[in-house]
Amino acid sequence: MSEKLITEEKRVFMTGNEVVAWAAVAAGAEIMYGYPITPQNEIMHYWTRLAPKYNRKFLQTEDELSAGFTTVGGVMAGRKAFTATAGPGNTLMQEPMSMAEAMRLPTVTIVQQRGGPSTATVIYSQQEVTMTTFGGNGEGLRIVYSTANHQELFDYTIKAFNVAWKYRFPTFVLGDGYQAKMRESLTVYDPEQKGIEFVPAEPYVGKPGTPGVDREPGHYRNTYNVEEELYEVLQGYFKDYAKMAEEVAEYQAFDTEDADVVVLSHGVVSRGAKEAVEQLRKEGKKVGYFRPITLRPLPEKELKELAGKAKKFLIVESAQGQFAKLIKDVIYGASVEIVPFFKPGVGITTDEIVGKVNEIL
Amino acid sequence: MTVQPAMPKCWRPETKPHKFCPGCGHGLVLKALGEAIDELGIQDRVVFGCDIGCSLLAWDFFNVDSIQTHHGRTTPVMTGVKRANPDLICIAYMGDGGGYAIGSQHLVNAAARNEKITVILALNTVYAMTGGQMAPTTMPDQKAETAPYGRNVEETGYPTQGPEMVAAITREGAYVARGTTANLKQLKSYIKKALQNQMEGRGFSFVEALSACPTNWRTNAEKTWNFVQKEMPKYFKVGEKKVPGAEEKEGQ
Amino acid sequence: MDLARQNRKVNLVDLDIVEPCYTLRPIKKQLAEQNINVIAWETKETVGLGEAGNIIKPAARWALLNEGDVILDIGYGVEGSKTLNLLEGVDKEPNLRIYAVVNISRPMTSTVDEIVEYLKQLGNIHGIINNTHLGDETTPEIVQNGAKVVAEAAEVLQVPVIATTAERSVAEAIGKQDCMGNMVRPLDRFMPCTLW
Repeated sequence: MSEKLITEEKRVFMTGNEVVAWAAVAAGAEIMYGYPITPQNEIMHYWTRLAPKYNRKFLQTEDELSAGFTTVGGVMAGRKAFTATAGPGNTLMQEPMSMAEAMRLPTVTIVQQRGGPSTATVIYSQQEVTMTTFGGNGEGLRIVYSTANHQELFDYTIKAFNVAWKYRFPTFVLGDGYQAKMRESLTVYDPEQKGIEFVPAEPYVGKPGTPGVDREPGHYRNTYNVEEELYEVLQGYFKDYAKMAEEVAEYQAFDTEDADVVVLSHGVVSRGAKEAVEQLRKEGKKVGYFRPITLRPLPEKELKELAGKAKKFLIVESAQGQFAKLIKDVIYGASVEIVPFFKPGVGITTDEIVGKVNEIL
Repeated sequence: MTVQPAMPKCWRPETKPHKFCPGCGHGLVLKALGEAIDELGIQDRVVFGCDIGCSLLAWDFFNVDSIQTHHGRTTPVMTGVKRANPDLICIAYMGDGGGYAIGSQHLVNAAARNEKITVILALNTVYAMTGGQMAPTTMPDQKAETAPYGRNVEETGYPTQGPEMVAAITREGAYVARGTTANLKQLKSYIKKALQNQMEGRGFSFVEALSACPTNWRTNAEKTWNFVQKEMPKYFKVGEKKVPGAEEKEGQ
Repeated sequence: MDLARQNRKVNLVDLDIVEPCYTLRPIKKQLAEQNINVIAWETKETVGLGEAGNIIKPAARWALLNEGDVILDIGYGVEGSKTLNLLEGVDKEPNLRIYAVVNISRPMTSTVDEIVEYLKQLGNIHGIINNTHLGDETTPEIVQNGAKVVAEAAEVLQVPVIATTAERSVAEAIGKQDCMGNMVRPLDRFMPCTLW
């Protein structure tokens, strides 16, 4: 058996969950902790088949609290650790992730969104945006990539490990049941052959030497005695977050320069939005496309600029305004008119978006 | 001039005197643990995890790497560390609320999976840090803030028998015992055996220590010791509940 | 569908219980119009689909007792093949033919060695169908390349290649036979309609 899963770049045809498992192996992830929940199960299925061949580990825990907290333990031991979840599991995952925020732990979590609230449905939904960006008690000190296709699932799962370990904020790849289960072609590659350097993992506990003798002990806590102490720690975190945001925020945009209407979307919905804008442009209509790839942190500068130029933002999402809330917060005070197009937990087609744009142009 | 009793070598002198109330049992349990770590010579390999509740006050207690986690979640954090780096000796330290109520599913499943970690649980029959509410281990008729007329076992059941439960769900290789702060020498020997069990990679190890909370019990020194030495053992029997190799011997 | 056009009684059974998104359910009616009896849940008959959707329709368990030709859609490779054990009379049916459908663009079956290793795990199979494709990006070259790799694997395994299958326009570009002399069966894709 070869040491590497992917020795040469090739076109393949996979489900999104399979892509994530492959990307995690390619990214050098060392251990996965997980608990079964649809629609992320096949990430564990493929990981458990691949892991022993490449000297990686897996632990199936008793619930998502445990999956999250064991992932926290795994990164503190200095290993590239990750977990995957969805829906009600993501709800439980918020507790460990708030500890990861407090201690600046580079956990990686794949979220394959499902319909909510509660058990609801498992395929098409963008209803875990609020929870994944700002869940838990705290200030949402996280990095969240919202992927739209299998190539991005592969690219951003690899990137998530690097960004998490470089900046030490818990990092999420936000997919959905549709991407998870659908098969699609993509190019897989060995990241190092592509010139992607792996950011090395470092242990928080169990470093060489005896604590108190050869080195200071690592004493990690998320509890503080006085409000001022916590306030000061957080000020440092906010500063780091702002600095990181400039380097990490990503987006895709086209035809926005002279656009009267800009269609804003993210994740799987942006596939339809992209086609819709391309189609409308061919008809000579002044329509633009903007899609944040990072939902936390958002590309704030670009969004503000655009909000000062366009007449209308059509915000399209498979949720009742969770994404729109994030956008509105960033562009507050701008003159642009916001037109919502929300279909919570339901797929949105190109034709529907074209129709809506024509209605408001 | 008074002579201070010697501190375990792995204690962190800069953080002493410790933060626990006068008469609290935590200091005694952590003394037994400190001596066990010293005697086994594992200070450089130990990762100490503490729960929420008074046990969190131990976050900088030792000169060992330490992680203060969430209420009930120390067991999975230590499981995660151990699974990722099996060379480390992982100790999950918690109270009875953390182990038997909010974190009971973690305790049960870590024990069932025979995780190679050591759980040390201080039992004081109340939620101490939050102000003395009823715990899973509050004794029948014992008064607590949320059981002001005494624990009514008809309504709230009987105190949790932790080591007995863990012994019942673990298989060969596990070590399970209940010690008491009223017998530190014995408690230390249990903790030492529990750590050795982990070091030898045999299986899950669990030590419950009967402990005192005079602050929430509202007891003076005499009444405190009476409760620990006489009342608690009526319900919580001290001794080893499961020792590796014992089952094989039984079968012979 | 060819069988149905020959007026044979065809039963298509959905036994893909692992990734229940790509099931036959949404196109059941469409297939029924082509005279094919589909044994699968109707979407509305199930609750918590996907979550609780891994439920085998009772009729499927007795599928082999149907009159006519029975085609079982199993899916999910080795684990899926174990699903066969759930069927009544599977070990007593002399006419059961198990064909492995191989796509060399699938990462677990991309080389001769991988296909051989993979198919050995499936147990007894009676033939291989080359179904190499890359979705909408499929070209005749991709299919022909698959035919070569599959033929080599078939030789190692000592089983015949039953056919090469390809989407109709690609199949027409290849001709009646692929580069290895195997029959080319054109496919009419229904699955894009199944995306919800």
